[in-house]
Amino acid sequence: MRALRHAGVIPSLLMLVVVLALNARLQHHFFSMLSFEDNVSTFTPTILICLAQAIIVLSRELDLSLGAGVSLINCFLATVPASAVGGPWALMGLALLLALALGAINGLIVTVFGLPSLIATFATGAVWYGLALTMVPQPGGTIDETIGNVYSDTVFHIPVPLLIVLAAMLIWTVIGRHRLGRRIVAVGSNPVAAFQAGIPVAGVKFIAYLVGWLLVGLGAIAISAQTLSGDAGVGTAYTLTSVAAVVIGGISLAGGRGTPWGALVGALVLGIVANVIYFAGIPSIWQEFFKGLVIVAALGFMVIEQRRTAIA
Amino acid sequence: MIGSSWGRPALLLALTIALLVVGQLVLPGFIGLGQIANQLKIAAFLGLFGLCQTVVIAAGGQGLDLSVGAIATLGGILGAALMAGSNAMTIVGAVAAVGAGLGVGLLNGMGVAVLGVPPLVMTLALSSVVDGGLIVGVSLAHPADAASPGLVAIAGRSLYGVPSVALIWAGIAAIAIWLLSRSAWGRQLCRTGANPVTARLSGTHTVRVRVMAYMLSGGVAALGGFLLTGYVGQAFLGLGNAYVLTSIVVAAIGGVTLAGGKAPYGGVACAAILMTVLVSLLTAINMGENGRQIIFGLTLLVFLMIDRRLGAQR
Repeated sequence: MRALRHAGVIPSLLMLVVVLALNARLQHHFFSMLSFEDNVSTFTPTILICLAQAIIVLSRELDLSLGAGVSLINCFLATVPASAVGGPWALMGLALLLALALGAINGLIVTVFGLPSLIATFATGAVWYGLALTMVPQPGGTIDETIGNVYSDTVFHIPVPLLIVLAAMLIWTVIGRHRLGRRIVAVGSNPVAAFQAGIPVAGVKFIAYLVGWLLVGLGAIAISAQTLSGDAGVGTAYTLTSVAAVVIGGISLAGGRGTPWGALVGALVLGIVANVIYFAGIPSIWQEFFKGLVIVAALGFMVIEQRRTAIA
Repeated sequence: MIGSSWGRPALLLALTIALLVVGQLVLPGFIGLGQIANQLKIAAFLGLFGLCQTVVIAAGGQGLDLSVGAIATLGGILGAALMAGSNAMTIVGAVAAVGAGLGVGLLNGMGVAVLGVPPLVMTLALSSVVDGGLIVGVSLAHPADAASPGLVAIAGRSLYGVPSVALIWAGIAAIAIWLLSRSAWGRQLCRTGANPVTARLSGTHTVRVRVMAYMLSGGVAALGGFLLTGYVGQAFLGLGNAYVLTSIVVAAIGGVTLAGGKAPYGGVACAAILMTVLVSLLTAINMGENGRQIIFGLTLLVFLMIDRRLGAQR
């Protein structure tokens, strides 16, 4: 409990309980297996991309190109036929490699060239989006159905999306308990001290980008498995969502403070809010407005809460 | 050279001229008087949105305004709704648009300076509220969306060959350069951005300065959107979207550093002209939105790297 409070997750858990209660009231059979599976497969991409942002933010950097990167990977999957590269699994592997390459580019720009990540990833995001538009100028194209089938499959009665999220959290937990995790937090909370303590600051940040983008790659494949078509705009909204989830999850944008669990809770809050808005029968024209309002309210709540605990 | 206050604008203008010459060689007629007037018109809008970013980035604390697009759309739609196509009501529309922009800017500023929300998050979140609110407003009220003939004349026509919107921009730019580099407020702004602690200790009301910076950004963005309505002929959802990225690009190229404390609007204005010429050259050789995005991103990266090099040398 004290660990949770220390991580600043309590207020976000509170929010999660509220939105869960609302959702359970509004969505029929919310606790049934079918809607659970449905919800999990809808939330999985958001969770993965928010986790990605969280690990990068923990190292005191930021990535505003995640959304555009998702679009680029989606368009890659929609453009390259699976038969040309040796089957859908090979194609998914290539998509992950592409994600790692994008992460490596961002990581290099931030660590080797020393550019401010906020604006540098904004710039690379424009490049990713431009490349995605080049591949898929109009939404369309088809993605190998096998990818969709794999995603909606179950292994030992556990839905694949849930497995992916569990695997991602497991990786996170393992990293967190080992040297890499401690180094990321050390670099994020005080880069100068970390450097003096002999931690390779640039290398740690670079690895944070790589791990983050691996998750982005998984998230992009998950999205593509659901839509089965290419769209250069499909990822756009994830940039705001990931940054908002990180803040809602109590992870400081100044780096070094917070846990992946916070990002998970933040992603769930935002995902469930979208669900609530959908199931509450709110007219579609109001949905964008409410989503924005909820994000602002959640941010305000978190900021005030953090301030209160900081004073106490 | 590039870092000094005159070197940068000079370099950017030299690059602009080089691009114009290349354009003329590739496509004879690229440097026509009409062409140049047209480009000045487009540069004027980019320059106005660049001013928004200049002010908030200079205010420091990772300052950034990602709501300029939404605020511009708000200014355009609200202004068009109020003037309803009549010349007499144009001024009312303009005042309401700028007022609404100042209001959103005030909220941004309060969130950033008073509550301490990171500017990126605050302005992005608020822009989704404004965009969402506009969808509701437009769907429910079906407001008039056409610009009045007077506004079309102001934003689209020319005065003795000089586009009037470029004259408006020149006036605003002159005021902005004075305000940011000569006035007491400008000095307070840069002091706040460079080091908020020493600024506060030396008597600057840093919270008020930051709130005012975001208000100024909102007001200018809304005015930009209002004028844009006149240039395009009507207001629509998503009117200002394209300016979110481009405004940051021109600010960075113009010499505003993300660390804050520097507000060289002369450089930003030259950067707006340079990027406009670049885009028109790319459009003239039939490069689509995809190519333009890529070139914008790469140009921004190159300038960031040059700045980084020069910063390291000093």
